Amino acid sequence: MQILIVEDEASLMESMVSYLALEGFKCEKASDYHTAVCVLDKHDYICMLIDLNLPGGDGLELVKLARENQSESGIIIISARNSIEQRVEGLEAGADDYLVKPFHLSELVARVHSVARRTRMKGGEVLSFGVISVMPEEHSCFVNNKQVDLTRKELDMLMFLMSNRNRVVTKESIADYLWGEYGGAYGSYDFVYTHLKNLRRKLQEAGCPDYVENIYGIGYKFSLDKSS
Amino acid sequence: MKLLTKSTLLIATLSLFLFFIMGIIFFQVLKNMSKADLDRELFDLKEIVEGHIGNYRDNPIIALPGIDSLSIQALDVHEESREVFGDTLMFDLKESQYKTYRYIQFYSKKGGAGYQVKIYKSTNPTDYLVERVTLMMTLMVILFLAGIFILNRFIFANLWGDFFRTIEKLKQFETSKEPVVLGEQDIQEFEELRQALERMTRRLANDYKELKEYTDHTTHELQTPLAVIKSKSELLIQSDRLGAEEMKCLEAINTSVNQLSRLNSTLALLTRIENRQFTEKGKIDLSALLEQHLDLMEEHINLRNIRVLKQFHKEPLVLLMDQGLADLLIGNLLKNAIVHNVDGGSIVLETRPGKLIMRNDGPPLTFSQEELFTRFVKDTKRTGNFGLGLSLVKKVCETYNFIIEYTFDNQQHTFTVSFIP
Repeated sequence: MQILIVEDEASLMESMVSYLALEGFKCEKASDYHTAVCVLDKHDYICMLIDLNLPGGDGLELVKLARENQSESGIIIISARNSIEQRVEGLEAGADDYLVKPFHLSELVARVHSVARRTRMKGGEVLSFGVISVMPEEHSCFVNNKQVDLTRKELDMLMFLMSNRNRVVTKESIADYLWGEYGGAYGSYDFVYTHLKNLRRKLQEAGCPDYVENIYGIGYKFSLDKSS
Repeated sequence: MKLLTKSTLLIATLSLFLFFIMGIIFFQVLKNMSKADLDRELFDLKEIVEGHIGNYRDNPIIALPGIDSLSIQALDVHEESREVFGDTLMFDLKESQYKTYRYIQFYSKKGGAGYQVKIYKSTNPTDYLVERVTLMMTLMVILFLAGIFILNRFIFANLWGDFFRTIEKLKQFETSKEPVVLGEQDIQEFEELRQALERMTRRLANDYKELKEYTDHTTHELQTPLAVIKSKSELLIQSDRLGAEEMKCLEAINTSVNQLSRLNSTLALLTRIENRQFTEKGKIDLSALLEQHLDLMEEHINLRNIRVLKQFHKEPLVLLMDQGLADLLIGNLLKNAIVHNVDGGSIVLETRPGKLIMRNDGPPLTFSQEELFTRFVKDTKRTGNFGLGLSLVKKVCETYNFIIEYTFDNQQHTFTVSFIP
């Protein structure tokens, strides 16, 4: 469960390492281009997080190099640059995803999971949490082996919560993850609440205990503890 | 008005005016001269006639050469006076019409008897001459004017050619591209203009580049500390040791930092549009784009029970523009229509050839219509948005010369975008 993080901002690097560690990931750190090149082959990484603005070299070159060396790894570009051309350029260089700074750590984790799923398991696996199991490839969700009918957004939300199990995820991060730039644009996050309510209702109707805990209005926590 | 047209017109009016005045003076002078000539001739004839008076009593002396008509009257009363010149009309039997004559009238004494003598001379030949000369002059003037026009054109092409080439090059100048380079010019004023222009465009291109770099850097430099605050607060939230109070503080920090980062990226976007950094052009089917965005906003629309009515014209409306900007335009217009709607309200989307009309229910504006597209103007009751959405829309429209209009009528806000100016 190794992840390579290439990022020159020490504080941000630390945050990412700490948050990913909570998820059980071990991180290899590189704060400049040359260090990154040196540790590129050190482990068999699940995922590589690469900043585009690096001291000593171009992040895009690093992406190309990483793609040549480790074809099985997922690559996520983390960059402050947010234009379509730059995204396209990044994806063409071989990245699997492009995350714009500043991002939510919960979103980063969800993307890491999803990229790892796509590249490693070829998407064919089953994610389970308590009595819930989700087959991302088929867009289907089961509770106690009974299929639950969820909309696309509800399923994405469930998978996001599952990726961030036992963590507090903020309303903003859910909104940004599911609705992208439209997430925060409405000045209110009521729609997140409405959606989550629908999801909880559907799951509970199928016989699933309520795993969602409301944390002081700041966000939600998805954990097995709550039901106990 | 074109420079050539203007200068030609000016030359034409001025020279016509000048020639008119000159013509009148010339005509008068010529007339007076011919009259004086005639008078001198009449005066000479007077001497001759005086010599003959008495020889031919009461008979007009027609046989004398140069005299067209003569009248001699014997006077009972003797009058001594000077000769008088005058003009008169006489009927010409041959041509059966009146003709003008110049005459000299004088008194003569011969052998104790007094006579009043009038010698007439036709003005016809001199009039004819004056007429001819005037006609010739007019013809010359016309020829001269034509010559001036042709010459003017020729001089123009020669003299101003460099100037027109400079204008052509300036028209093609874009701040995002290289500064204008013009060849050296031999007319001093144009050479000065060239130097000034080159200096100016170089400066513009340079300023543009610097501004672009500045925006890029600011965005980047701001995003990184924002990313740090965001990630740290998110980590802090995970802590088990925090109570309700601390969590509330964290939530406030979290919300603000999210707003700040959205504001930052939106402002950067506005600057990028202003700098014309979106130059890709692709064919965009407007109704497809609308459907796509409605799909993305489905939850928000459903949440507020908003009905969406689509009245798409059977001819698809295809725009040639940057995909990103098209998304911005439609996305922000739709977002606006949803956010400023009422619960259970409606949105009407209508496409016509070259036109998109978007109507939504909603309370009237709390500020003046003119401010609608300005930055940071927003409904004071609403929090969380910055009032930048419509200025983004406006900027996109400006980029492509689309015309956007807003009206409020019957509790409905209407935005009309005309794509063909």
